[in-house]
Amino acid sequence: MSREKLSGAEIVIEELKDEGVEVAFGIPGGVLLDLYDVIYKQDAIRHILMRHEQCAAHAADGYARVSGRTGVCIATSGPGATNLVTGLANASMDSVPVVALTGQVVTSAIGTNAFQEASTFTITMPVTKHNFLVKRTEDLPKVIHNAFHIASTGRKGVVLVDLPKDVLADVAKVNLHPKETFAGYKPNIKPNKVQTKKTAETLATAERPLILAGGGVISSNATEELRSLAELLGAGVVTTLMGKGAIPEDHPLCLGMAGMHGHVYANRAINECDALLALGTRFSDRLTAWQLDQFAPDATMIHVDIDTAEINKNIQVDIPIVGDVKLALDDILKWLEKHKKLGGKSVWMQRIKEMHSACDECIKDVKRAGTSLSDMFVKELNRILDDDAVITTEVGQCQMFAAHYYMTKRPRRFITSGGLGTMGFGFPAAIGAQVGAPDNKVVDIAGDGSFLMTCQDLATCVENDIPVVVCILDNRYLGMVRQWQELFFDKKYSHTGLGLTPDFVKLAEAFGCYAERVEKPEGLKDVLGNAFKSGKPAVIDLIVGKDDKILPMIPPGGGIMGMIGTERCKHI
Amino acid sequence: MQTHIVSLLVEDRPGVLTRMSGMFTMRGINITSLTVSPCEKKGLSRMTVAIKGTESEVEKVRKQLSNLIEVVKVVDLRADEAIICDLCLLKVHTKDSEVRLEVMQLAQSYGAKIMDAALDSVILELTEEPMKIDRFVDLMQHFGVKQLFRTGVTAIGRGAGGG
Repeated sequence: MSREKLSGAEIVIEELKDEGVEVAFGIPGGVLLDLYDVIYKQDAIRHILMRHEQCAAHAADGYARVSGRTGVCIATSGPGATNLVTGLANASMDSVPVVALTGQVVTSAIGTNAFQEASTFTITMPVTKHNFLVKRTEDLPKVIHNAFHIASTGRKGVVLVDLPKDVLADVAKVNLHPKETFAGYKPNIKPNKVQTKKTAETLATAERPLILAGGGVISSNATEELRSLAELLGAGVVTTLMGKGAIPEDHPLCLGMAGMHGHVYANRAINECDALLALGTRFSDRLTAWQLDQFAPDATMIHVDIDTAEINKNIQVDIPIVGDVKLALDDILKWLEKHKKLGGKSVWMQRIKEMHSACDECIKDVKRAGTSLSDMFVKELNRILDDDAVITTEVGQCQMFAAHYYMTKRPRRFITSGGLGTMGFGFPAAIGAQVGAPDNKVVDIAGDGSFLMTCQDLATCVENDIPVVVCILDNRYLGMVRQWQELFFDKKYSHTGLGLTPDFVKLAEAFGCYAERVEKPEGLKDVLGNAFKSGKPAVIDLIVGKDDKILPMIPPGGGIMGMIGTERCKHI
Repeated sequence: MQTHIVSLLVEDRPGVLTRMSGMFTMRGINITSLTVSPCEKKGLSRMTVAIKGTESEVEKVRKQLSNLIEVVKVVDLRADEAIICDLCLLKVHTKDSEVRLEVMQLAQSYGAKIMDAALDSVILELTEEPMKIDRFVDLMQHFGVKQLFRTGVTAIGRGAGGG
């Protein structure tokens, strides 16, 4: 590549194009004028103007989760960058590849408390996989290339590039598209053959094998391999919240999500198994709960993760495998197919069948005794939406109603804030998801508390023809906190009541959205149909009960065998 | 809780120290001593970090440090497999010539250098393993230590191993 004379802003855009970036979510600002001047002059990269930087980060995050590509967000210096922080922390916690570009004051003014100056580099250090403060225009090609390389390889994550105004404005002679990387960055991709062989042998001889699928199965695109292995072995599959969609949830071997708000039989299977193959999961406390002696007590524990630091962090394992989940599953499958030494698992398979149908029955039964309106609305969505529809969620009760009752059939079709638990995530993530999957229906299962945190971006949807549908489970409370106050704090509802403001239908209409209120679950189908038909962004206000609780659940301090609220569950 | 010495080979650029120390801060681990200096490879620096922690805490931090993009190598140095040095400068009160003579003799027996002498004080320098410096300082306390400076440990693996 010959040396070219370009401005910093031109270099950034050229490198973004080279990385295959097709869209960026951002908001301009004083120090970004040079960059936006170049964005104006090109049409290879679509820029979507957001209404809040937090939403720009969440949209990039949602886009990345749905498409498997790296999401890009842009914010100006100072408040623009600090507004991004929640979104970056969110993507980091869930290992989503995002590159954030932030403006910075001119290099000579850094550290002087200049107008709109914040130390973005130090502020974002703990919420990124890596970050850069670029001091020289000629460093830009290498920095941008590495930002994408680091974000999208190994354990995926967030990389932020802080761009001072003069670095963007200055002209330099550079070689574009360099390939050099950091000496210290060598992600462990290839699993150790000895360990994968040991795993295959353990699974082959186990009587009650279970696979625990985490988000890593989805991010390494290993869902086919997971399904093949489960079917070959006759192993049950449970997922984490992030693993929803790793296997179709109606698959006979799938027992659904495990953990604090998971399916009672998913948790029981973890307790009963004699070999647990955990794939791409970090054993968060929301999965394992707190009585660890109930978590797979009789099992040989096998843990596959791309991040060495996750091995033996929360759970001690017998067979650790550091590497890519897909490659590890390939090795295990090859060994099993070659040696064909599978022990008898028919008793266990019968047990899985029984457990699968117990939960399946409940999810399909909309009018089951003990079911609340919130459950019913989500169960109704299962009947209305096609397998390729994308669900995003806000955080709290709505999220857990969605996670528990919505049956995800395909990977990258259930988008939720798992690690950070960010209220206000679902709606902007839906915007990104819709941009990444323009032909799919995108529905945000929201709560009224969460939605109000980021609803200003309805303007973004309307202005850019992004027809996401927000279904608000509207109980006029911060529902999950209220549920805890009811169950564990003597019904003292301290500051969880939100009052009657706003009227969500009028609010949405003011933005130019389609909007309707639904009071009965059976009315949802027609209204949702109308919303999709309108082709507009839509808000559907679903009136639910303030006493609706997401049950069963593991109470704080409990173990996976100690779920409460199992009265409605089928006892087998 | 025992002292561990973690030796890191890192890229020499702004922010690396903050990133590294942030790993310890996040886990509430206190850094006992820290040295940063250039090393045999251009563009790289070596950091020697002494921390107190359990085996498993240190193991977790070591893995997290390895994950940092600018960290090229992390080694947990064991005391019996490494040469560990600390440099100490101390100003000892010498109230009269008799005391001064005694301090100088003791300093010599420890291999400490006399860097400066005034009527009422002497400045001594000792480079040694940390425990030996501790003993030397304790001894000098007897006369009155006016000021004490220590660089913190630096360490190198014996033979072919380490760092």
